Amino acid sequence: MLAAGLTLVYGLGGALNLAYGQMAVMSAMVVLFAMDAGVPVLPAVGLGLVSGAILGLLLDLTIFRPVYRRQGEARVLLSLLLTLGLAFVVDGFLTWRIPFRGLTLNIGGGPIDILGVPMRRGSLLASAITIVAFVLLFAFFRATALGRAVRSVIEDEQGARLVGVDPRRMLRLILIMSGFLAAIVAVTRAMVTPVTVTLGFEITVFALIVTVVGGLGSFPGALMAGVILGIVNSIAASYIGTFLSLIILLAAAGLTILLRPSGLLGIRE
Amino acid sequence: MSDQAVPTEGASVIGGAEGRSARSLSALLLPLLAAAVVLAPVPFLLGDSRVLMGVALLGLAFACYTIGFNLIFGSTGQLFLCVGALAGIGGYGAVLLADRRGFPLVLSILVATVAAGLVGGLLSWVAVRRSLGVIFTGIITLIFALAFHNLLLGRGDLTGGESGLRIQSGSDTFLGDRILSYYAMLALVLLFLLVHGLLRRSHFGWGFRALRDDEMAAELTGVNVARYRVIAALVGGAMVGLAGAVYAFSRGRISPSTFAFAQVDVVVLVMLAFGGIGTLLGPILGAIVFTIIDELLVELGQLRLVALGALILVLFLWVPRGIIPSLGSVFRKDQHR
Repeated sequence: MLAAGLTLVYGLGGALNLAYGQMAVMSAMVVLFAMDAGVPVLPAVGLGLVSGAILGLLLDLTIFRPVYRRQGEARVLLSLLLTLGLAFVVDGFLTWRIPFRGLTLNIGGGPIDILGVPMRRGSLLASAITIVAFVLLFAFFRATALGRAVRSVIEDEQGARLVGVDPRRMLRLILIMSGFLAAIVAVTRAMVTPVTVTLGFEITVFALIVTVVGGLGSFPGALMAGVILGIVNSIAASYIGTFLSLIILLAAAGLTILLRPSGLLGIRE
Repeated sequence: MSDQAVPTEGASVIGGAEGRSARSLSALLLPLLAAAVVLAPVPFLLGDSRVLMGVALLGLAFACYTIGFNLIFGSTGQLFLCVGALAGIGGYGAVLLADRRGFPLVLSILVATVAAGLVGGLLSWVAVRRSLGVIFTGIITLIFALAFHNLLLGRGDLTGGESGLRIQSGSDTFLGDRILSYYAMLALVLLFLLVHGLLRRSHFGWGFRALRDDEMAAELTGVNVARYRVIAALVGGAMVGLAGAVYAFSRGRISPSTFAFAQVDVVVLVMLAFGGIGTLLGPILGAIVFTIIDELLVELGQLRLVALGALILVLFLWVPRGIIPSLGSVFRKDQHR
């Protein structure tokens, strides 16, 4: 559910990033090493977020260059294959160098009762950060000129170019933000469960499913899908058992694609 | 007049390499023969080494998967990310039928093959009916692959869970013999190449090419795009399923990771991309080269993943059309000069 909330930038810009989970993991590792080196928690987290953004920029400057030179499906396909390759490089490298490290951020204090249900402080803080990040993003895309420019590129690249918006710069901004969000995902997740080096693929898949269910390119959709899938997952997990719940989750995603190809709140073509 | 015909022939870039050569029957059989001649002596070279024969067998199985995937993705543009799952349906299906239900070997392989073909066709039919694009087809087949993988892990009582199954049946037939099962697999490779080649020579070939070049135009000129797609997925799925079943029996044991996404689909994608998407011999060339590279990288351990990923990056950045078409265009340039 945490990973879910922050997938929004993921499906944007007409390209898919299958190395998204790996970006999150790399940011988590930056935080981990910073803390190892004696940096206090908050600056370390800040460092992780910045490095996430830098990763996004690097990605944009390297393998996304040829990707954005293409249009439509060819672009999606190339981005998919290239980021898949990148994901393998990162995964292999991390499991080779630091196989058993995981980032855990301990938020002290016992559980807090909310409406009679005990909630862990870590999960609460993580949810709060997710919601704040969402509100900020929403505000950015609705209220600022830059946010509107980014949206215009997402909706119609040619049109945006005609009214004087440089698509290339906006796409770069999208990737930087996506890296930043991946870092937030990593940090919030570390408050609940350890973020290990092997988690990358899992985060990517979950993010992918949520994005697809919510509708590619729709922010409220991603939020809604994240919440719904989170609930479905936890209900199914507690009543039926883990392996079937995962299958149910996948089936739900599959059904959504079939029934509403544009997603719950996606834009109809 | 005849001068004018020449440039158009050379100018057809995509699919041009196979365009003319696929016409005559001897042009189809010659590459098949070449592949057979190259691959037939392998057991005599490696016969003593169990490990290397296992690698060779796996390489041939991957050649089969890649041919099937090439038919689905290369010929009709459907990105199926569930090749491993289809092979798993073939493999697990046949093994469970033979071992648990006591079906005869041939029958269980046949049933599993048909099942894999039907699943492939069904996925394609759904995708065509909902007119999903490349990406959504990819995502939905990926979802299917993940669900199938979890089913294998979850139904541990049937599938043996993570540790997999040791297969009882089949070991007393020719599939129990390493060298004979190598030749059985090789026969499958050649059969699949022949089927794919024949399909391309028939009116299917025109349909495939038409819908790959311009789907809208193909539809408008009366090419039944949906039919070609579903049939390609049906045949390709059956190929993958059959190869998965035969591979399972000749290897003697299977586990979910034998058919996992990262173990099969990614590799198949690399092989096809290397050999050339949509070419006849690309899959087998890619499979041979990649199997050798992979075997050389075994010593690297975890770095193998890094190398695999780097290979994907390099391939798609610099030779996105694959080795065969790239070489082909180099030759054609030379001819013009």
